This record gives sequence, C-alpha cells and structure tokens, in this order.
Amino acid sequence: MSAQKLPAEFADLEPFLDWALATERERTGKRLASSLEDIQAFYDHMSARVEAAMAYLNAFPLDTLPPEAERLFHLSLSLMEVANAVEMFQNPAVINGFDVKRFAPVEDV
Amino acid sequence: MRTVIADKRWAEKYPEIGTGPVAAEPLISQEHFELEREKIFRRTWLNIGRVEEIPNPGDYIAKDLTMCRASVLIIRGRDGEVRGFHNVCSHRGNKLVWDEKGTCKGTLTCGFHAWAYNTKGELTWVPDEDNFFDLPKCDLGLTPIHTEVFEGFIFIHLAERPPESLREYLGGVADQLEGGGFGELALAKRYRVDEHANWKIALDAQNELYHLPFQHRRTIPEFCVLKDGQFTRLLDVRLFNHHSVYSSDPPEDRVGPATEKLAARFSVAETESRLPRIGSFDFYTIFPNMALLLFRGVSHDFYMSYNFWPQAVDRTDWDIKIYFRPAENAGQRVGQEYFTCLLRDLLQEDATAHEQIHIGLASRAKKELYFQDEEMQIRYFHTVLDRFYAEA
Ligand code: FES
Ligand SMILES: [Fe+2]
Repeated sequence: MSAQKLPAEFADLEPFLDWALATERERTGKRLASSLEDIQAFYDHMSARVEAAMAYLNAFPLDTLPPEAERLFHLSLSLMEVANAVEMFQNPAVINGFDVKRFAPVEDV
Repeated sequence: MRTVIADKRWAEKYPEIGTGPVAAEPLISQEHFELEREKIFRRTWLNIGRVEEIPNPGDYIAKDLTMCRASVLIIRGRDGEVRGFHNVCSHRGNKLVWDEKGTCKGTLTCGFHAWAYNTKGELTWVPDEDNFFDLPKCDLGLTPIHTEVFEGFIFIHLAERPPESLREYLGGVADQLEGGGFGELALAKRYRVDEHANWKIALDAQNELYHLPFQHRRTIPEFCVLKDGQFTRLLDVRLFNHHSVYSSDPPEDRVGPATEKLAARFSVAETESRLPRIGSFDFYTIFPNMALLLFRGVSHDFYMSYNFWPQAVDRTDWDIKIYFRPAENAGQRVGQEYFTCLLRDLLQEDATAHEQIHIGLASRAKKELYFQDEEMQIRYFHTVLDRFYAEA
C-alpha cells in the first residue's frame, strides 16, 4: 500500500489528486486540457472543502508543509485557477483569450 | 460613497486639455516610432526594475532596450550602491552580460576575450595586456548610465545630462507615493506578453475603465462605480507634469463571484498594511511606458507594475509584475492566487483586444479617435506625446 496521499480527513479529495500541481503553468495546462464537465466536478467538490482545507493548512508554517498537506495546498491553488472557467466563462479557456505561449508566467509558482 | 455620478467632470477640472478628436496616426506610424526613439525614450527616465531584484552585492539585471538601441546593466556594488552602465565591453564592444539576471563574486568577465570589470564598472583585468599598445586602462571602464531609485523603483536616463532628477521628473506622482512602503511587498507573479500591437495602443487600452462593463463583461463588469448601473464613473483624475493617475471605487452593491468571496475570507490578516491609495484602485501612467496599479486588498493592499517595451512599431513586450505582502499562511497565499488568476485572465482579454485594435487602426480607415470624459487621462497622454514629438 502506498503512503497516504492527503491528510486523512480530506480523503474524499483523492479522486481529484491529478489537480495537485505545484506550478501555475501546470495548473493552467491542466485547466486547458480538461473538459468543462471535469472542471465543474473538481470545482464543486473542492469549493465545498476549501474552507476546511484552509483551516487545516493554516496551522502549519507555509514553507514547511508536510507532503500530504502540500498536495491539499496545491489542490486549493487549482481551485483558484479554475474558478473563472466556471464562474465567468463557462469554458475551460478565457473567451477571447490570448495565446498562452505568448502570455507566459515568468516567476512560476 | 464618495464618488459623484456626474458627467464631464474631468473636462471641467482640466479645460486646457480640450475635448476634440485626437489623431490616430501616431499609434501606427513608423515615423512616429522613430520620433519616440529619439525624442522620448532617450530623453525620459525609464523604469528598469526594483531594488529587490538585486538584493546583494554583485547581483545584477541586464536588459536590452530595443527601442533605445541599448543594453543596460544594473548592478549592486560591493559598497551596496546601485549603478547603471551600458552593458558593453570596452575592448571590441561585445555585450558583456548575456543573461537577464545574475550574480557575480565582484567581477564580470566578457565572454569574448575575458576583459574583466568590477562592480563599480572599472576595468580590472586584460588578458595579455603587455601585448596591447598604451592601453588607457583607467579610462576603459564600463560607460555609466544615469541611474536613480525612487521608493525602490530603479530608473535610468540615457541622456548625457538628464534635464531633471528622477524625483523632479516624477513630480506629483512622487509626492503621492513617497514613503509608500513598496519594499515591504514582494514580487509574486510576473508575466511577459509578446504582443503584436503598438506600445501606445496597449497602454491606452489600460488607461481607462470605460471598457470594463463591455470588454470585461464576463470578468469584472462591476469593478468601478457605475452610472445607471452601466457606465463607469471614476473617483478622481489627476494630471501631473507628463504623468497621470485615475482612481476608482467599486459599486456599493457589488456582489462578486463565489470564489472571490472565499478568497477574501482567506486573505484576512491580523494587521492591516496599506499603500498610499487615493481610491480603492489607482492607475498611474508614468511617462512614457510604465504604469503602476495600486489595489485595495482585504487586509493587505497590493500593487502591479506594467512596463510596455516597444520592439517595433507593431510589437510590444508587455512586462506585468504583481507584488504582494508575503503570505503568512496558506490561506493568504491561496487568496493571492485567486486575484492573480483573475488579473491574468482579464489581461488576456485585453491583450487579444490590443492586437485587434492595432489591425483596425493600421487599416487607416479611421484618422481620428474620440475620447469621452472618462478617457481624459488618455487624451492627456497624447498631449504629452505631442509635446515631446514637437521638441527640437
Ligand atoms: S570584446 Fe570583450 S573582451 Fe573582447
Ligand atoms: Fe482591460
């Protein structure tokens, strides 16, 4: 058996672990590569859990999160990434958006 | 609410700026681009970066300024001083530093024949020196560039003798921002946008809020107080010598998206930290190619800078930087991510539009532009341009 991927009380988020991505470039890439249905499913589930996640994560110093807490943190960042796709565009990409290769994050965190 | 919902307030405040149509040609013509090269970018203070980018002695940033046909090296000396030089070797003119950012142990060495310079720009080592002919080594340091710092923002001036100090040049902008505590915030995100549009088209399109309920109808339709729920009304417009600022407050009854509300809750901090804002949002145009954007945050204010670097008449490197007070916990960091994703997505809407505007204007189907009162600050920017174009 592999080690626990997420803090025990957030095991319900395991199906969404492929959204636990460390950099903005990766999170944007995942958003653009996903269907709106998949984004919506992640958004719905994560939105309901993110306040609990913050309460959990805020107990740790930000720069020394244990690995399973860090995955939860990255899932929370991914929620911020996809929020506009659901709430504003109803589309994975920005409508009338720009070529992301020509709109590049430089300091990528 | 402080905002007055009235018409034509800014023309009343600044009647000398006029109200007529403005020529479109400077936005697209090669001739104006060349004028800008000689009469603007070589004659004004240009923001290159911030002091936090070079915190330690030996740290440097280098930037090719296509518009100025120059490459600039900013380096922090062993004595802690920030100095600027032409990034050009005294031997045969090779570009000294090739990377945009780096650090050295006190010596920068040219890649061509290894001439070496210290952090004060002095030439310290010439390989096979005895085989040269009366080399005036003391005079062969790097060519200095006037470099001054305001509130941590590093500016250079390429003229041999700048007509005024950076502080004088910034004038009323400096009065407003002095002591603002910008150094307590740190760069959180940076985007480089490679735009197929004139630099002034890009800047003008940022320099107003009139377009928010329309171009940004999906993203931020309710960012600014609206007259009749439809038309933006700014809180203030102030014109300075060369520069300007416009300010806004959000509508009182603004609802906002669900995740924004979450992000706002996560962003609460025990102590507040504020920037010297006029409204909830201030947009400074610092002539010629910089903008500084101050935002009211939940507990911590944050700011952005834009540098529009012309690459060609129809090509611009739009350098976007977002600065936050460093997050104390995961919640604040996640809250920041919401706002940076929102800014990034809506600036994508803008970047796309800049290119479409360039195509439209380049057709020369329209010779003139029409500015309404809420676009006063763009009108002013064009009068400043005209002033510089007309200089001897
Ligand atoms: S050009 Fe720099 S050492 Fe020769
Ligand atoms: Fe915009």
